[in-house]
Amino acid sequence: MIEMQGVGRDYVVGGTPVHALSEVSLQIPDGEYVSIMGPSGSGKSTLLNVIGCLDRPTAGWYALDGEAVGALDERALSYIRGHKIGFVFQVFHLVPRLTASANVDLPMLLAGVQPAVRADRVRRALEAVGLSARARHKPDELSGGERQRVAIARAIVMGPAILLADEPTGNLDRASGAEVVALLEEMNAEGLTLVVVTHDPAVGGRARVRLQMVDGRLT
Amino acid sequence: MKFRDVFRFAAGALVGHPLRTGLSLLGVAVGVTSVVVLTSLGEGARLYVTGEFAALGSNLLIIIPGRNDTTGFAPPIGVAPHDLTLDDAEALRRLPGVRRVAPIAIGSATARAGDLTRDTVVTGVTAEWQSIRRIDLQSGQFLPAGDTEADRALCVIGATIQSQLFPGRSALGEMLRVGDERFRVIGVLAPRGTSLGMNLDEIVLIPVGRHMRMFNETTLPRVLVEMTSHDDLPAGKAAATALLTARHDEYDVTIETQESMLAAFSRLLRVLTAALSGIAAISLCVAGVGIMNVMLVSVSERTREIGLLKAIGATPADVLRFFLAEAAALSVVGGLAGLIAASILSATARRLFPAFPMQPPDWAAPAAVAVSLAVGMLFGVWPARRAARLDPIRALTRR
Repeated sequence: MIEMQGVGRDYVVGGTPVHALSEVSLQIPDGEYVSIMGPSGSGKSTLLNVIGCLDRPTAGWYALDGEAVGALDERALSYIRGHKIGFVFQVFHLVPRLTASANVDLPMLLAGVQPAVRADRVRRALEAVGLSARARHKPDELSGGERQRVAIARAIVMGPAILLADEPTGNLDRASGAEVVALLEEMNAEGLTLVVVTHDPAVGGRARVRLQMVDGRLT
Repeated sequence: MKFRDVFRFAAGALVGHPLRTGLSLLGVAVGVTSVVVLTSLGEGARLYVTGEFAALGSNLLIIIPGRNDTTGFAPPIGVAPHDLTLDDAEALRRLPGVRRVAPIAIGSATARAGDLTRDTVVTGVTAEWQSIRRIDLQSGQFLPAGDTEADRALCVIGATIQSQLFPGRSALGEMLRVGDERFRVIGVLAPRGTSLGMNLDEIVLIPVGRHMRMFNETTLPRVLVEMTSHDDLPAGKAAATALLTARHDEYDVTIETQESMLAAFSRLLRVLTAALSGIAAISLCVAGVGIMNVMLVSVSERTREIGLLKAIGATPADVLRFFLAEAAALSVVGGLAGLIAASILSATARRLFPAFPMQPPDWAAPAAVAVSLAVGMLFGVWPARRAARLDPIRALTRR
C-alpha cells in the first residue's frame, strides 16, 4: 500500500526554488497497475523516485505499507529499496562488465543472501523473463529489449511488492517495447504493484489507473 | 553483504580497467620494492661490516693511544699523552691469556719499481698481524716472525701493487723502493679488496720497527691484542689497562673490545637502514596518491553504477566497502608484486656482488606490505566516501 498526503518536493536550482512536486496525494493499493503520464518536467520521475525511496519529500507525508518513510534513516531506506521495491529504468542501468546473471545477482549480493540460494533464484528470474539462454552474456552482447528484460529480472529477483518503471520502453523499438510491457504486466498479474512512468499514451493507456501530471501536480 | 562478494565485485571492477589498474599497481609495487631494496642495502651494509669484524675473530682488544673520554680537571699544560711504543706492545705480549700482539703503524709513500711509481699506503706490521687479520698470501711468504728488532728491509705487497708495478712478472725477489729505502719483495697478498677501511690490494707491508724509523714516528696508532679465548677479554682488558697505566704513569690509552666497536657500527648502520626505509616510505606515499587518483577517476566514471547500486538496496556503507576493497586489493596485490620484484633484484645483486650480503631485515617485507595496505586504505577513504555519499538520483541521471 502506497499512501501520500500533500507531498511536495522542492529543489533549488541556481538560487531559485523549483517545485518538482506539490500537494500530491494518492493511494495505491497492493497489486494495482498505475501509469503516470505527463509532459517532460512535469514531475513524474520525481514522483516515482519518491515512491521508490530514492528521493525524500520536502513536504507532506508518505507511508509505505503503513510505515512513514520520512522518519527513516538512509540505512532503512536502502533496506526498503533492496527488499520491497524493484526499479526498471529507461537506460537499463546494467553494470557493463558483469554478465546478465551477475547483474541479476547484484541485489541479492547486496542483501547478503546465501550464495547457494542465489544461483537458483538468478536462474528462475532469468527464466521468468525468457533469457535463460543469454545468462552468460554481457550487456553489450544483448539487444535493447534483452537488456531491459535482464533489468526486469534484476528488479524482481528479491521478490519485491512494488515494481517501479521509469520510461521502460523509452529506448526500445516498438516490438521490444511491447514485449517489455507484456512482461511487466505479467509480473503485475502475479500480484506485484506496478507503477509505470511514461509519456507514451499507448503504454500508459494500458494501466487500470492512469494518473496525469502537470507542473508537479496530479490532475 | 558477504566479504567474499565484496572482494569479487571490487576485483571485477579493477580487472575491467586493466591499464588504469596496472599503472596504479605499478606505483605500489615500485614503492614496496624500494622499501625492501633500500632496507636490504642498509641491512646488507650492516651484515657486511659486522662480518668483517667477525672475520677478525671475537677475541680482540684494540688499543689506541689517548683517552677518548675526558674526566676530572683539564691536565696541566705540557703533559702530552705518553706514546704507545713497541716496548708497550712487547710488555702486552707477556700478559697472561694473550695469544698474539700486532702493533701497527700507518703511513703513505711513493713506491717505485724500475720506471713505475705509485703512491701507496705503507703499513708497518709484524708476522702476527697476518694471523690476527687472517690474511692469505697469493705467493711467497709473509714477514718473518720475531723481526721487529732486526727489521730487515723486506716487504709484502698487495695484489694491485704486484700487477701495476711488476706487470707481467712475479715481484718475488725483486726490489721495491719505498720512499728513500729499498725493500725486497718476499710475498704477495691474495686479492681481498677493502677490509676495515684499508684496501689490502694496494698496500705495502713492511716491518713495524722499520716503519717507525722511516716515518720518524714515536707512537703506534694501534695495537691489536688477541686473547686465547673470548672469556679472557674482560680480564685481558683489565690487565692491559693496569699494565699501560703503570708504564705510562697514567691511564692514557683507549682499549676497545672488538665487540664494542661492532656494536657501535651495528647501531650506526641500523640508523642508516631506518633512514633509508624512511626515504622509501615516501615513495609508498606517492603510490598512495596514485591509488587515490585512480579511485577518484573510478568513482566519477562509475557514478551511474553507484546510483544503481543504491537504487537496488546498497547502503552508503556497502558502497564504501566496495571502493575500500578496491583500494585494499590494489595495495595488497601491488605490494606482493613489489616483494617479488625486490627478491628478484636482491637475488640478482647477490649474484653480481657476492661479497655484499644484500638481504632485507626480517621486518621489512611484512612492514612494507602493511604500510602499503595502510596507505592504500588511507588514500582510498576519501574517494570511497565520495562514492558512498553520492545522491542516488543525481548519480543515476549523470551523463
